[in-house]
Amino acid sequence: MLDVQDIVTAYGKIEALKGVSLAVAEGRITCLLGPNGAGKTTLMYSIAGVLKPRRGTIRLGGVDITGQSPSAVVARGLALVPENRLVFPQMSVAENLEAGAYQRRDAAEVATDIERMYARFPRLKERHAQLAGTLSGGEQQMLAVARALMSRPRILLMDEPSLGLAPLIVEEIFRIVAELNKDGVTIFLVEQNVHMALKVAHHFYLMEQGRVTFSGEPGKLAEDEVIQRAYLGTSRQTSGDTTSSHKPG
Amino acid sequence: MVALDLAQNTLDGLMVGSSYALLAIGFTLIFGVMRRLNLAYGPTIMAGVYLGTAAFISLGAPILVVLAIVILGASLVGLYVERLCFRPFGEGARTASMVASFALWMQIEEAAMHLLPRHMNPFPALVASAPLEIGPLMLRADHLVMLAATLLIAGAATYLLARTKLGLAIRAVIDQPRAAAIVGIDVERVMMLTFVLASAIGGIAGFLIAATDAQVTAMIGMWATTKGLVAMMLGGLGSVKGAIAGGLLLGVLEAHAQWFLGPQVRDMVAWGLLFVLLAFWPGGLMGAKALDRTMAVGRRV
Ligand SMILES: Nc1ncnc2c1ncn2[C@@H]1O[C@H](COP(=O)(O)OP(=O)(O)OP(=O)(O)O)[C@@H](O)[C@H]1O
Ligand SMILES: [Mg+2]
Repeated sequence: MLDVQDIVTAYGKIEALKGVSLAVAEGRITCLLGPNGAGKTTLMYSIAGVLKPRRGTIRLGGVDITGQSPSAVVARGLALVPENRLVFPQMSVAENLEAGAYQRRDAAEVATDIERMYARFPRLKERHAQLAGTLSGGEQQMLAVARALMSRPRILLMDEPSLGLAPLIVEEIFRIVAELNKDGVTIFLVEQNVHMALKVAHHFYLMEQGRVTFSGEPGKLAEDEVIQRAYLGTSRQTSGDTTSSHKPG
Repeated sequence: MVALDLAQNTLDGLMVGSSYALLAIGFTLIFGVMRRLNLAYGPTIMAGVYLGTAAFISLGAPILVVLAIVILGASLVGLYVERLCFRPFGEGARTASMVASFALWMQIEEAAMHLLPRHMNPFPALVASAPLEIGPLMLRADHLVMLAATLLIAGAATYLLARTKLGLAIRAVIDQPRAAAIVGIDVERVMMLTFVLASAIGGIAGFLIAATDAQVTAMIGMWATTKGLVAMMLGGLGSVKGAIAGGLLLGVLEAHAQWFLGPQVRDMVAWGLLFVLLAFWPGGLMGAKALDRTMAVGRRV
């Protein structure tokens, strides 16, 4: 469904992505792991059209979307839950959801979808008139997820949705991720919480210093080993060996 | 008699202040979506007013046609300013945009001098009836028109922002531009539309001001930038309600200053206020709360 080939994205002279290739299979949950500064957020923004890659191609459902504007990418059925949530702080919860449905023209259906979001996230219903900036971190995260879903995406990108949240709320977020996936939404998830990520993911990639250094399926590898690779660093000799051989299809 | 003076000054100030309010609404919309100051805002308005009155002088265009030309002219010049000073630079290059808008200010003034070389130019008058008397107070009919137009436009702007899809997009861009792009709003298009809209509102303000004076000089450009900027700062950046309050407040303060301290002091009020505001309340008198809220949000993130 999503195919990233040899992407290079730079901030000025510094290349944050140095040729990243990976694939996200339709209907699956694919997870991207990696230490701070690896380039995970840069990759998410490059896919969503917020950052323009210098090189490489990004295909969504077979269509080349490299370098397209974020609004064009949304129109193709992709939604992003950005790092740090980025809700609209001075707008109400309800208005944040309406903004999520900005490109849709079916007002009645949008209203029904907002009710659906309230059913899925009862806290948002309670606080529908409250300014989003005054919500708690967990509530803002739910709002960011709900807002992204309002565009009825085929594929949902989530950048560290559990960051800074209490364990109970993290569990809830992951429960929602699994539910959404059951409903048919393809999910591409950035996570630092390796334990939770490996529980839900069908496939994962490991990224370090702007490169994909490992990929695999959770069951086939001991969790400690992934954690070891993700956070204690891998030697260059052992990395990269499985990079392209495990592309899910 | 001081009480009566105070009342009359306040009334006059509110009337004149309503034109400042319009200027401030336009200014605040541009500042909100761009987060950069558009120094060429006043000159944009002046360009519209000059085009309108050129048609009046040379072709004898009726007042409503002049109004249409002023609005259209200001909108087009606004578009030109956006293309040259704002579109090419990112939000990171505030200084570049400001300097560029200053350069266009000079350019527009130069062009206006070529269009109408005389210092003072006639402008069609709004209403020529005698002042109304309300008890002991006097009220100019054209000032009433100005107030009514301000209320109408402020109402329309509020409705647009609060109830329409474009308004939602404008508020989203003001609030969190990156998120606006992520949800699929065409941010550049929204910026352009806001710029044109604000320039059109400024054009209406310029028309009303020139028509109540029945004459206009190129100074109206500088004048509009100053008054709009100070009114916007008074009201707190980025809020339509604040812009209206700031404009009315500035008008009233100026009217009192003129009456009690003399006409020379009048124009110093705006400059003095700008200085005091920048030094002590950079968030604006009414913007302080909004600023606090934004900062609280920032801390949490
Ligand atoms: N706006 C920017 N300007 C310059 N460099 C940047 C910018 N954003 C990110 N970088 C750099 O690019 C690299 C990758 O950053 P990125 O945010 O993509 O990492 P990440 O994997 O998402 O990290 P984290 O887990 O901390 O969120 C880092 O070295 C970072 O310092
Ligand atoms: Mg990140």
